[in-house]
Amino acid sequence: MSADLSLTAMLSMYAMLLIPVVIFFYLQLGIIRDTLLAAARMTVQLFLVGLYLKYIFQLNNPFISLLWVTVMLIVANLSILNKAGLKRGLFFWRSLIGVAGSTLLVSGWFILIAIQPDPIYDARYMVPIVGMVLGNCLRSNVLSLEHFYSGIRKNENEFMTYLMLGANLREATHPYLRDAIKAAVNPSVATMATMGIVSLPGMMTGQILGGAMPMEAIKYQIGIMICIFTAMVLAALLNIVLSLPVAFDDHQRLKQNIFL
Amino acid sequence: MISFSDITLQLHEQILLKDSNLLIKAGDKVVIRGPSGCGKSSLLKTAVGALALHKGTVRIDDIELSTSTVYQIRSRIAFIGQEPVLGAENVRDALLLPFRYKVHEGNQPPEKEIIRLLERLHLPATILEKSSARISGGEKQRIAISRALLLGKTTFLADEITSALDPESRSAVLDELFRSDITLLSVSHDSEWIKSCGRIVEISEQKLLEMES
Repeated sequence: MSADLSLTAMLSMYAMLLIPVVIFFYLQLGIIRDTLLAAARMTVQLFLVGLYLKYIFQLNNPFISLLWVTVMLIVANLSILNKAGLKRGLFFWRSLIGVAGSTLLVSGWFILIAIQPDPIYDARYMVPIVGMVLGNCLRSNVLSLEHFYSGIRKNENEFMTYLMLGANLREATHPYLRDAIKAAVNPSVATMATMGIVSLPGMMTGQILGGAMPMEAIKYQIGIMICIFTAMVLAALLNIVLSLPVAFDDHQRLKQNIFL
Repeated sequence: MISFSDITLQLHEQILLKDSNLLIKAGDKVVIRGPSGCGKSSLLKTAVGALALHKGTVRIDDIELSTSTVYQIRSRIAFIGQEPVLGAENVRDALLLPFRYKVHEGNQPPEKEIIRLLERLHLPATILEKSSARISGGEKQRIAISRALLLGKTTFLADEITSALDPESRSAVLDELFRSDITLLSVSHDSEWIKSCGRIVEISEQKLLEMES
């Protein structure tokens, strides 16, 4: 196992922050306050996460772990809708089904079929894996939903043309769905392709620092990358498809009151 | 046949038409006139459910426009706007686009028929390979008209579709659309077009008034 960082060790890390702060001071960037505030927030938030993860791991109760996973899913879902500029009240349940369904499917697959920990509900696996998948889905879901609805809104004339030519809602929205999924997934294809050369992924680095053998760590990394990628595609697709019935009126016109 | 019964049309809180009626029999050619912003284009849009009516009913060939029939109605009538959107990368894909939809599946016309139609509208066969981004407004208008004709449509809602055409192309379009089997409801400022229409309807004080043609 790696050495636990002592208080002095941590203080030495905070001291490193003085370098950018001094640079900001000389360049008069006016972002010192924001930087220090961000560092303070990071400290408090991670400290709290460490604290409750510690309890969740100690209790290792499947219901408490699932409760925590539920909280993560709800917070992620609200954040997706907010950032995509869509009204939460209209889309909450549909989007939650999309996000939760895809995240739980891939996480479940990884844990139950590939890892098979003992006990199977071990919080040490369930919580971080769902968390990592969800964190990555969040960004891609914001991209896909935002892209899809703004695409139709900006090209209303084109969208109406498809309808006038006899397209049903699924056919008329198809070009925008395709673009939205591409926009959401493209960055991840690039990330996968350069992984290991350009960047050493966070999870793998963390495991190696935590004392794992590199060859063990890369296997987990590959597993989690495939999980993330699959969940991204699934969630992006499900979220759009499930949102269609509330976003269009009975004449297939995009409702204007769905946007924030 | 197109019929508007007791329709009230409102756009952005402004009443454009109130309790108005209009009956267009099969084969009629109608042009709507009136000052800009009076609701000419909006009236056309209501017939295909692109714009909601505040009150009243629209019927196309005895099918009342409703939630359950809007899809059927759209597949029957052609709506062509002033600046048509081709909706595909190149002209060929744009012309064949509707045949990829379930409702028109299997009805794709043979290449020869497409080329013959394009030629009648003064468009060369080589335009099929052109990118949609590289064709002019007048060409776009004629491609949109061709697309509707290829679908075998006989009811046309046409909003200023000759605005970007030169006189020869315009008369070619008139030859195609003023056939006796085509029902036409249009908006136009083109004097040739207006002259060719058998009926002129004016929007005045929120009413549809039949004028002497």
